[in-house]
Amino acid sequence: MAELGDAKKEEESKKIVHTYPLVRKCDMQDEMKSEAMELCVTACEKHAANNEAAARMIKEMMDKKFGPSWHAVVGEGFGFEISYECKSLLYMFFGGNVAICIWKCS
Amino acid sequence: MDKKAGVKPTKLRAMVKHGSVSKIKGDAGDQNDTENEILMRGRNLMIPEDQLELPEKELSEELARVLTTVNHQIPKNLVEFSFRERSFIPSPITPHDVMLLQYVGTALHKESPEALLQLEAEYIEGAEHGPSDAGKAEKKEGEEEGEGEDDEIEGDADGDAEGDGEAEVDADGVDDEDGEEKIETKEDKKGPPQRGGKAKKLTNQFNFCERATLTYNNPFRDQGAQTTPPPQATFCDYINQWIVYDAYQEDYENQQNMKEKEKREKMTTAQPKKEEGTGRKRLDKHSVDPTTYRMFQAAKILERMINQNTYDEIAQDYRYWEDPSDEFREAEGTLLPLWKFSYEKTKKLNVTEICWNPQFYDLFGVTFGSFDFNKQVNEGYLCLFTMKNPSYPEYINSMDSGMMCLDFHPVHPYLVVVGLYDGTVAVFNVQLLTKERQYESDSVSNKHGGIVWQVCWGKDLTDGEMHFYSVSSDGKVYNWVLMQNELAQTLVITLYLDMEQIPGPDGTMVKITGCGTAIAFHPKEPLIFLVGTEEGNIYKCSTAYASIYLFTYEAHHMPVHRIDFNKFAPEIFISCSSDWRVKIWEDGRSDPLFMFDLGCSVGDVKWAPYSSTVFAAVTVDGKCHVFDLNINKYKAVCVQSIVSKKRNKLTRLSFNHKLPIIMLGDNKGSITTVKLSPNLRIKPKPPKKQQIIDERTLEIMKLEKLLALVREPQKITAPVDEESTTS
Repeated sequence: MAELGDAKKEEESKKIVHTYPLVRKCDMQDEMKSEAMELCVTACEKHAANNEAAARMIKEMMDKKFGPSWHAVVGEGFGFEISYECKSLLYMFFGGNVAICIWKCS
Repeated sequence: MDKKAGVKPTKLRAMVKHGSVSKIKGDAGDQNDTENEILMRGRNLMIPEDQLELPEKELSEELARVLTTVNHQIPKNLVEFSFRERSFIPSPITPHDVMLLQYVGTALHKESPEALLQLEAEYIEGAEHGPSDAGKAEKKEGEEEGEGEDDEIEGDADGDAEGDGEAEVDADGVDDEDGEEKIETKEDKKGPPQRGGKAKKLTNQFNFCERATLTYNNPFRDQGAQTTPPPQATFCDYINQWIVYDAYQEDYENQQNMKEKEKREKMTTAQPKKEEGTGRKRLDKHSVDPTTYRMFQAAKILERMINQNTYDEIAQDYRYWEDPSDEFREAEGTLLPLWKFSYEKTKKLNVTEICWNPQFYDLFGVTFGSFDFNKQVNEGYLCLFTMKNPSYPEYINSMDSGMMCLDFHPVHPYLVVVGLYDGTVAVFNVQLLTKERQYESDSVSNKHGGIVWQVCWGKDLTDGEMHFYSVSSDGKVYNWVLMQNELAQTLVITLYLDMEQIPGPDGTMVKITGCGTAIAFHPKEPLIFLVGTEEGNIYKCSTAYASIYLFTYEAHHMPVHRIDFNKFAPEIFISCSSDWRVKIWEDGRSDPLFMFDLGCSVGDVKWAPYSSTVFAAVTVDGKCHVFDLNINKYKAVCVQSIVSKKRNKLTRLSFNHKLPIIMLGDNKGSITTVKLSPNLRIKPKPPKKQQIIDERTLEIMKLEKLLALVREPQKITAPVDEESTTS
């Protein structure tokens, strides 16, 4: 029992650690990537309980910054198959449970 | 009203023309007055100054005026005298209307003479084939003329008057005449238009036809270009909480690994990371052909296996064989030769130093160079051998000059410092696959001016920087600190001889320096060290004082080859020299405690790591001498020829710090391993009263007991000295 508890504790402590943005796939330019990541983090932190609002914010901001027709998906579980303009895909995890996929396709 | 006023002047003129002026004039003046009055009435608001003041009665009186188109003032009974007829004849009635302007339009009335003319012309043109018809038609027209005449005139006149109300007045007379003429012409050509069904139907707004032609349109052409769309790609994935979790776990693990690796890297290369390039190159080597690397590893294992099979007997001996004859011999031991290490390229070179790796007891480093001034080589080698593979070195590195010494770092056993014949010192990281030197002294600005005889790592500095000391023939001891990307050099001491200054060239005085040949650091006090010189003196120095010697031992008469501190008693040290002697000293005592003459130049001497009283020395006649002072204070317990006396010389030796074996290097580039027989490593027995004393204390006790014999009566040492010399 004690062991189990320990393991749990360990897991918990690990979970706390994993809140940093983790990029799974990205083919953006470095500058764009860092900006997009920062934006995603801000959006997800601002709308922690509202993925829709977060996605909206990301999309709008990206449109403003990098020209129109961005798409953003924020969620804890989803599947997708998209076509995107090369050099404009960012797929990352954040906060340990949210996946964010943004891409451009006009 | 206006019209009437406008008309009047014409009338006047007409009157004048006709000669009855006066009557009409008066009439006209009256009329004008009344008209003015009427005008005034209409414009009450603007009352002129000279307005007539009328009595109320007159003002209220109504004056009726009727406007007609008939001019009542035109006399109807005008007559003219005709001289031809000699009587008055009534003149024609002047019309009531006046032509002001006549404007001929392009539109023709259908029944106007012009229109008829036109029609006729068209008809004639169109009907050339039937002239008889046309004739008939003319006749008919002629008959009809008379009937329509009067009406026509009246209609015309009316139409004109109505149409030209606003036009100029001047041209009136002419106009009238024109009008008459026109009428006449009209009358003349009245006939033709009536042609019934035969005539062509005239167009009007209800009955017309349009004709148009369509020219060819210019052909249109579309031209366009399409740019290539930005490249697209598809991407799909599936996300779940556990996928996210796993990804984080994996990444975290990677991070940890990276951190660890970085830490390790820092340890290995932080200080020796000379340049970025080195690291990258190394990475490249790792990454470019990992297969080659793995192949290399596999081949290495295979090589070791084969070697193990080949040298199976030796391996067995090395581990298990103990000379059984030792039991029957008192105070005598043997050396069992085991492997012989050599490397093809260094067969002609001398073994200049052997040093065991502090971490792996089967690994040792050897430097190859030349001790002979006349036969210097232009290539020196550093080789690392392992006892697992006697046939080929584990690591080979070479430099342009003979290597004279090496030392493994005690904490980072992959760092090797070497000293070269040309005065250079260099640091290698033998872990790396590259042969590149991690550090090398600059050949221009900082290096020794003579052969570097010994190098020695110091304890790491307080801020973690590694450093080492080197001693050279130029009489200087330098301290080298491994900085980020360079070796920082500091002079520790210059070995000035205790002599008068010698006059140099140009009248300068030159202080003579000794040539350092050996250095040994005190095992307990990191500041204290001993330097042996070519002159035979041994100086006790401190790194804190660069100018004075703490003590001077007039130890030998020839170059000192080695100084070694006892592993158990730090105040005891041993030295050897080309003057055939090996001497044991105690700190602060100017006379040696023991002195042994080995009959020829002694190349190297070392204390055994396992015993406080055992040491070994090698001589140029190819013999290895092992002493155990506890057994015999005067003679070696074992003297054994290792290599052939005529051809080979032994140069260096080194005790393994864990196993009872010694490495002996010779001047033909080969290293012989010998195993010490049991008699050469007798452990002291603890006294019966105190059974639980650790070995170290026992060893110290043993040595103390021995030293007690030689220390007090100084005289005793002298006979020992004599005896050993003679023997």
